[in-house]
Amino acid sequence: MRKLHLSYEKKKGLYGYGFIAIWFIGALMFFIVPLINSFIYSFNDVTPEVGYLSKTWLGLKNYKDAFMLDPNFRQYLVEALQDMALKLPVIVVFSMFVAIIINQKFKGRTFARAVFFMPVIIATGPVYAIITGNLETNGNNSAQQFTTMFETDMVDQLLEFIGIYGFGTTFTEMLGNLTSDILNLVWNCGIQIIIFLSALQGIPDTAKEAAAIEGATSWEFFWKITLPYVSPMILVNIVYTVIDTFRDPTNLVMERILAVQSDWRYGYSAAMAWSYFGIILVVLGIIFAVMNKLVWYENE
Amino acid sequence: MAQAKALDGSMSAGIQKDSKRNKKHHDPKLTPKERRERFKKRLEYLTPAEQKYLKRKRIVDAVWPIFRAIIVFGLCFIILYPLIFMLSVAFRPRAEMNDPTIMWIPKTFTLNNIKDAIRAMDFWKTLGNTLFLNIGCSLVQVATCAVTGYGFARFKFKGKSILFFIVILMILVPPQIILIPQYMFFRYFNPFWIYNAITGSYINFINTAVTMYMPAVTANGISAGLFIFLFRQSFRSLPMELEDAAYLDGCSPFMTFLRVMVPNAGSTFLTVFLFSVVWYWNDYYVSTSFFTDNRTVALMLKNLDANLTRIIFDNGNIQVNVRELIVWMEAGCLISITPILIMYIALQKNFTEGIARSGLTGM
Repeated sequence: MRKLHLSYEKKKGLYGYGFIAIWFIGALMFFIVPLINSFIYSFNDVTPEVGYLSKTWLGLKNYKDAFMLDPNFRQYLVEALQDMALKLPVIVVFSMFVAIIINQKFKGRTFARAVFFMPVIIATGPVYAIITGNLETNGNNSAQQFTTMFETDMVDQLLEFIGIYGFGTTFTEMLGNLTSDILNLVWNCGIQIIIFLSALQGIPDTAKEAAAIEGATSWEFFWKITLPYVSPMILVNIVYTVIDTFRDPTNLVMERILAVQSDWRYGYSAAMAWSYFGIILVVLGIIFAVMNKLVWYENE
Repeated sequence: MAQAKALDGSMSAGIQKDSKRNKKHHDPKLTPKERRERFKKRLEYLTPAEQKYLKRKRIVDAVWPIFRAIIVFGLCFIILYPLIFMLSVAFRPRAEMNDPTIMWIPKTFTLNNIKDAIRAMDFWKTLGNTLFLNIGCSLVQVATCAVTGYGFARFKFKGKSILFFIVILMILVPPQIILIPQYMFFRYFNPFWIYNAITGSYINFINTAVTMYMPAVTANGISAGLFIFLFRQSFRSLPMELEDAAYLDGCSPFMTFLRVMVPNAGSTFLTVFLFSVVWYWNDYYVSTSFFTDNRTVALMLKNLDANLTRIIFDNGNIQVNVRELIVWMEAGCLISITPILIMYIALQKNFTEGIARSGLTGM
């Protein structure tokens, strides 16, 4: 047999296929084919039979049902999106704030870091659900007492003290919701804090020194040095948070989809899941389009 | 990564220099009054703007650490609160749950709740089973994801961007969407599409460890997309010269990967392994779907309240006060997080520093 003569580049390319071959076979079996299948299901009425699922073509009926007939689906979708829109800025600002703090040098920093990242290892499991559930059952819980320190009354009284009356109950309500949800917040920011921390550690010394020599206050330093360097990671964090809340099986839409699924109505649940997925993709697209103009990349 | 290390080194050196300089100004031999005068004298040589800046800096430097300490303490308290609560309740006799005088420290300590929870969860057997699935899948998955990530990081081939887009999709698509087809795949496994034609039957993998191991072996386990992405980023940040040197010495690409690249990406391997263990440990979604009776820690914990009354009181109909039920639930939580908590505390430094170093910085 004649030996094949390949250039170095081509050989390397073939090795590349070799390296990803295992994953590709797996992805074909466990990701690509199931994904296409579930897309097909969404246009069909699916009933399980031995060895296969029998399908009858319905066209867009599943989608129409989800949006027109389902009593809750549309409402859940709107609520999930609203929730996301409210949570997103809070999570991003809060995790950036924490990351800046634990990037500074102080006594007990290692301990503080360990504590802040600890939720990452627990929050995805059933323990978290039990913990928060129990906190609600148990009346005299001091997490609530602790958060009432920041609660609406304080804000209202402070405003009245300054001379502002009836500042708007909606604002104080919103603030109250956020502060009473602080346990939830700190327990769901671990990854975002890690991402911001890595970005903060990537700020070059030269920039810091230049700012110090020019006499920048820490406020100016934040706006002119920290924020531009960190901005790509803000985008990453927003995307991560959106995906994370979207995939969360306890979110309302997901719950509904899973309920329909365990009801053996696979086609219908697939249609719901795909329309939800499509909406999230649109949201991500909008975020990318808006943020890309605001993000500053060092190399450009 | 090497660059990041060097950067960090110079950063800490800079900070050390700074603290030395500060010490000079804050000479302990000086009384506060003398120090203040010294500062005033220094100010005289400066322009008003500079004076203002320095005064402001002094105030901020004095106030900020106090402010920061309060914030850090408060947030740490909020995060640790559930764990403190867990410790406080898990060792408390259930009657004392209704005692309003007890906030944190119970009057008597008892190990009964823990013992009951261990019995109700069949904990030791469950733990063994979980570790078998968990550690095994994680080890295999880390290896295959690393190989894949390396392929994406350092080779040029046709269709790479489309294939990488599939990796991104794996991160995006929730596992629930593709679950039913996956279930069908395992329930009616039909190797090479001819097994059924020959034997007229299917292989049933439901309720076997194959459902967990097969995706892990092919780099498609839990969160595999994210892990491939992390490995790709971390391999991309290693210098190209490393490989070129190995190639020139006649090392094949795979041996280069094993001998040159893997040792240099140690922290990424550790980080991904830890994440993988944690996510397999916490998973109950996949295991409920592919097993009808699987005993993993997460699953047993989820079903604990149902099992409690059945096993502890030998009576499914007995009504237990919800508040009293908490002691067993918290005890169950405590024993289920202890193994990963120990692992986290032992490897905490690598976990927190490792993720900050590897992968993400190259994004």
